[in-house]
Amino acid sequence: MLFNYRATAHMVHNGYYPFLNWFDERVWYPLGRTVGSSVYPGLMLTSGSIHYILNVLNVPVHIREICVFLAPIFSGLTVIATYLLTKEVWSTGAGLLAACFIAMVPGYTSRSVAGSYDNEGIAIFALMFTYYLWVKSVKTGSIFWASVTSLSYLYMITFVGFQPITTSEHMAAAGVFALLNAWAVLRYLQSVMTKADLTHFFLGVLCVGAGGVLLVVMGLTWIGVVAPWSGRIYSLWNKGYAVPIIASVAEHQLITWFKFFFDLHILVATFPVGLWYCIKNINDERVFIVLFAVSGVYFASVMVRLMLILTPVVCILAGIAFSTLLDANLKKEESLQPQAGDCNDDDDDDEINSSDNTAKLRHVKHKQQYNNNNNNDNDDGVGVFLRCVIIIVTLSMLILFFLHCNWVTSNSYSSPSIVLDAYEPDGTREIIDDFREGYSWLSLNTPVDAKIMSWWDYGYQITGMANRTTLVDNNTSNNSHIALVGKAMASNETRAHSIMTQLDVDYVLVIFGGLLGYSGDDLNKFLWMVSIAEGEHPDEIRRSDYFADNG
Amino acid sequence: MIVFREIILLLFALSALLIAVQCKKELSLSERVQQLSDAGTKKPVLRFNGDKFRQYVKGTPRNYSTIVMFTALAPSRQCGICRHAHDEFQLVANSWRYSQGYSNRLFFALVDFDEGPDVFQALRLNSAPVFMHFPAKGKPKKVDTLDIQRVGFAAENIARWVAERTDIQIRVFRPPNYSGLLALIVLLALVVGLLYLRKNNLDFLYNKTIWALGALAFTFAMTSGQMWNHIRGPPFLQKTQQGNIAYIHGSSQAQFIVETYIVALLNAAVVLGMILMTEAASKRDDVRKRRIYAIIGLGLVAFFFSLSLSIFRSKAHGYPYSFLLK
Repeated sequence: MLFNYRATAHMVHNGYYPFLNWFDERVWYPLGRTVGSSVYPGLMLTSGSIHYILNVLNVPVHIREICVFLAPIFSGLTVIATYLLTKEVWSTGAGLLAACFIAMVPGYTSRSVAGSYDNEGIAIFALMFTYYLWVKSVKTGSIFWASVTSLSYLYMITFVGFQPITTSEHMAAAGVFALLNAWAVLRYLQSVMTKADLTHFFLGVLCVGAGGVLLVVMGLTWIGVVAPWSGRIYSLWNKGYAVPIIASVAEHQLITWFKFFFDLHILVATFPVGLWYCIKNINDERVFIVLFAVSGVYFASVMVRLMLILTPVVCILAGIAFSTLLDANLKKEESLQPQAGDCNDDDDDDEINSSDNTAKLRHVKHKQQYNNNNNNDNDDGVGVFLRCVIIIVTLSMLILFFLHCNWVTSNSYSSPSIVLDAYEPDGTREIIDDFREGYSWLSLNTPVDAKIMSWWDYGYQITGMANRTTLVDNNTSNNSHIALVGKAMASNETRAHSIMTQLDVDYVLVIFGGLLGYSGDDLNKFLWMVSIAEGEHPDEIRRSDYFADNG
Repeated sequence: MIVFREIILLLFALSALLIAVQCKKELSLSERVQQLSDAGTKKPVLRFNGDKFRQYVKGTPRNYSTIVMFTALAPSRQCGICRHAHDEFQLVANSWRYSQGYSNRLFFALVDFDEGPDVFQALRLNSAPVFMHFPAKGKPKKVDTLDIQRVGFAAENIARWVAERTDIQIRVFRPPNYSGLLALIVLLALVVGLLYLRKNNLDFLYNKTIWALGALAFTFAMTSGQMWNHIRGPPFLQKTQQGNIAYIHGSSQAQFIVETYIVALLNAAVVLGMILMTEAASKRDDVRKRRIYAIIGLGLVAFFFSLSLSIFRSKAHGYPYSFLLK
């Protein structure tokens, strides 16, 4: 997020076109980075436009405030988008419940805290809004909604670098689009050609068409316009393929059931109920939700970062589930018996009509009383008491959910990642501000053009807070450069010194946690440094050289 | 004078003897290499007894390395792991034999305990299998023994260790395993056959209940962490030091297989309970049946959700909330 802020600040100070042409020579020294073309522009564009609009209205807000508060604002908008989507799929009651769930659920709040200025906070809003517009256009079939959907989709993919239209993972979607067009053409031809002609034509076109499309896609991939499956996506399908640089990122790990429960609490146990009802009462828009849910649940279980994608659909389905339960139990039931009784009454009334009026009145009143008694007995088929108990238990589970979300958010997702805290044995809290102190030392005591070598985790922080040139950073786009740094960290002093002088390094930053018992330091990450270095320089770095006698 | 001549004769004889001995040694080396490579071409893993081991692997001089597996393959030894290791070792040796860089610099050999117990004793080996690398010059060091505890004995790992010790890269070629493909083909044939038999009545594909059950089963499998089990391969359960059986892993970072089954069952019970409650309240059936459904549903939801909450509590240290059970 520091990089995103730096890029946005650069754009606001220098203008949009200089930003697109920006070549940052203070990162990935000595290679530099073409930020303008390699960044996902959506985030910067959004905050830049908000900043511009506010300044035009003479409300002077610093870009830093906008960046910090962007995620909470957009998560509020996500709540509204979720409500709209669920309302389209099921009902307003379900919509309100789903909106309440997503407002609180830890799976989403963890990625949208104030200060986490990252693509995810806004991309999810764009996602839900696009899906709402999509469902609306499916339901109404109007061109207006369809065009608004595509505009919203365009907005969404600026956050992911236009990958949905250029990478081969998305070629399947393009293929379906082509197939739909082919189907429409076929239907039209059916109305103008005879059956025999049509069959021949159809088979011929099918073979030629399928072959042609395949050739085109392969050709595009070969030329390089369509990129082959990226490492991250490939590792989702083939979990045996674990390149060290991808396997080492904590967010790419598999998750246990504990993480599901931690992030979703009761929703993980109740959203299958919503799934059940969606399938049993299937229609066009619910097919979409079902597919979303099933694929989301698979991908979330293979990569913890994708839990964020699963969370909205879990909220929607859980909202549907609770809504059907509460609706069924809160509605006043109609009874079966009186309908048969009514018919009898009519017959009796007809009979009595012929007799005395007062007798008829008495008779009718008697019948009414009898019916009322019947109504009281058969009124609530399940019983008011039972339904009350059900509602109370459901509400108490929802209250538990609320408490759980509060506890999780305050304990796990509220600490700033750069200032740590530790607890002494007697319970007192120590604040560890070493990161910021180290960066401010760098910023105050080193020359402006000093080059700092550190492991890539700290790259953005050094560039953002210490304002010094770094060698590698969290972008992890150049694996061999990272391997070179890893080799320098893992070699003896002579060899490391020669690598560092080659790279013009002036200072080396190393995190050591031994004094405090901080377990996330560079020594803990050392084996990853060796692994990544071994990947590029297998004859110089060997993992087994670094193992102790007992392994 | 005569003494001088005799001394020269003696020197000449000595040098001749020396040369003869040298020739014998050189002959021995090239002879050995020749014998080894002849045998190795026929059988990539050479079987040595004690004498052959001393002659070929330990005998000097050498200009080749030997990778030796010390094993106990006789059935009476009951070493199942030796058999697995032997298969993997055979794979590496075969890959080396048929690789492009095949030369006389590296040989693969095997010493069985029943054929060469003296070797085991001399090297102070008391377990099997052991993989050792004997370099051309010098004695094997600690790293010349493959650390099976840490690395295992998969063919790829053996080849990597050989590459580390000898700088010879061997690309392990596993013969393609057709059993998976065969199973897939059989399955496809079954499915196609079933569909063909029912071709008049394909309505079962439209049956929503079947689809719903399938989707729910998939969801329960995923949310209980089956993918984690598939990749990380955790144990089924664990016996603690006190002798009790631990069904639930104590840390939040790991899980047992039986734990995932328990969680899947709990989730399924909660889902079933909630569906029963909703159906009971909205259907038009017999009243008493609906009441029973509602009560059962309520009980299921409340009890099993409390159970999963308490399991969650046991793993999340410091979590303060619980429902019905502690």
